[in-house]
Amino acid sequence: MKLYRSLIYRELRLTRKRCFLMLILFLLLALLMLTPIMLGGFSEPAEGEDAPVEMILLFVGTVVLTGGFLAGTNNGLQKADISSGWKRYSFILPPTAKQQAVSDLLVKLFYILLFGLLSAAFAMIYSIMGDYNAFGLMLNIYLGAVCIVMLIDVVYSYIIMLAKSKKDLGVIGVAAFLGAGLIIKVVDLFTAGKDLLKGDNAAEQSAEGGALISDEAFNRFVTALGSGKTTLFVAAAFAVICALFFFVMWRSHERREP
Amino acid sequence: MTAYENAIEINGVTKRYDGFTLDNISFDVPKGAICGFIGQNGAGKTTTIRSLLHITDIDSGEIRLLGLDHIKDEIEIKKRLAVVFDELPFHDIFNAKDMARIFEGMYPEWDNAVYQQYIERFQLPMKKKIGQFSKGMKMKLQIACALSHNAELLVMDEATTGLDPVVRDEILHIFMEYLQNGERSILMSSHITSDLEKIADMVTFIDKGKILLTGYKDEIIESHGILKCDKEKIAEIDPEDIVSIRTNNFGAEVMVNDRENAGYKYCDCVIDPASLDDIMLYYVHRDMKEWS
Repeated sequence: MKLYRSLIYRELRLTRKRCFLMLILFLLLALLMLTPIMLGGFSEPAEGEDAPVEMILLFVGTVVLTGGFLAGTNNGLQKADISSGWKRYSFILPPTAKQQAVSDLLVKLFYILLFGLLSAAFAMIYSIMGDYNAFGLMLNIYLGAVCIVMLIDVVYSYIIMLAKSKKDLGVIGVAAFLGAGLIIKVVDLFTAGKDLLKGDNAAEQSAEGGALISDEAFNRFVTALGSGKTTLFVAAAFAVICALFFFVMWRSHERREP
Repeated sequence: MTAYENAIEINGVTKRYDGFTLDNISFDVPKGAICGFIGQNGAGKTTTIRSLLHITDIDSGEIRLLGLDHIKDEIEIKKRLAVVFDELPFHDIFNAKDMARIFEGMYPEWDNAVYQQYIERFQLPMKKKIGQFSKGMKMKLQIACALSHNAELLVMDEATTGLDPVVRDEILHIFMEYLQNGERSILMSSHITSDLEKIADMVTFIDKGKILLTGYKDEIIESHGILKCDKEKIAEIDPEDIVSIRTNNFGAEVMVNDRENAGYKYCDCVIDPASLDDIMLYYVHRDMKEWS
């Protein structure tokens, strides 16, 4: 227990500043999204404007999504450990690779819990003020966002694992940047191709009044997103990604220098 | 705890890199001894140390630390081992207090009182960020951390390089104190041979990935000598006695590997005692035989 306390203390101290900046960003965004409530915007929706429920979903969704992204993102610890020489030093310290990986996972879960609670608090304020319960939906959006970012983190951490020096990190950074650009370009080409195949049908199929999606489709989407099945699926994905994260961290701590 | 005779046993260790090979090296460091590990830059000192600490995997051979296998018994070894690198491997944002909090959970025998004593002795600030420390202060902090968990084996990789003579002397003095109980051992790699001449019991000399000399320092120094003679005299010296020859405008200086014997064989020549520096220098040029 003492050992984990030491490991976690080190990681939390090193990621504290980053966490603080993320918290400020998150709270500023939350404050911005609370402005309509503070200005009494939901008391009497004006005619022709979006219904409050849609607005609630938009505001809460934005904040929760941001919270999920911030919580799941890479905390820069591996990179900092390589730069400082701690990574090499850790090979001569008593904690095993598995114990260090457990500590990495616990710190990650701590941040997920922290931003999760803040997101939940925000969603609760909106639920009370707007008289609309979107807790299940928000949980799924939050965990979904965490899963996506954590998956990217797992891949990134796996690549970082191969770096042993600042020079390697630089090369990997450039390669990752170019790789990400390439993926975005490929995805862009793919979606552009799909649009071309669809032709004007896509535009014709859009909802009346110029809206991108009809009310019915939107409601179906929201219902599906907030359903118990989705929660189960996202929770399972989260568990698998946590296991993957642990495995990659374990391998990373175990891997010796060439 | 296992009883052991040698704190370090390295047998036939080979590690191949592109352009460099640590070639079948073997040497021991007896329990209670300070062993100086010398060699020029790129000779293989750091590779040897990284191999024995299992920072890198070896291609072949066997390493035993404190009587235990360096891979199989890694966890047990790490609790009883301390390492000081040439650069401080701690994050700049931490302070001395943070390091104590980090290490106290990691080492079962971590002693905060001992750590505090070293911090006070080195006059290190507890709350100042490590990033604001001087090089000497950083090294002292690393040594304080290394000596505060009752480690039986201390491995140092160029730990005194770049420090001023006053700090170096202070640190060497602390190492001498640390060995007082006879249960602890030190392997100290350095190319500053004057430090090792002061404190080492044993010396292992590595060059181009091969161990050239290993043994007790006094024996090595006593057995070697610098024979001074004319250039014409060189032809009369048995090649078996010669390590290498340094020529200058006035004659030649020949490093002989059996000073006593050479004294009888070449009684018309002067043989001066050799320092570790001299020995290292002449051995490095052994392939050329004659150099200036």
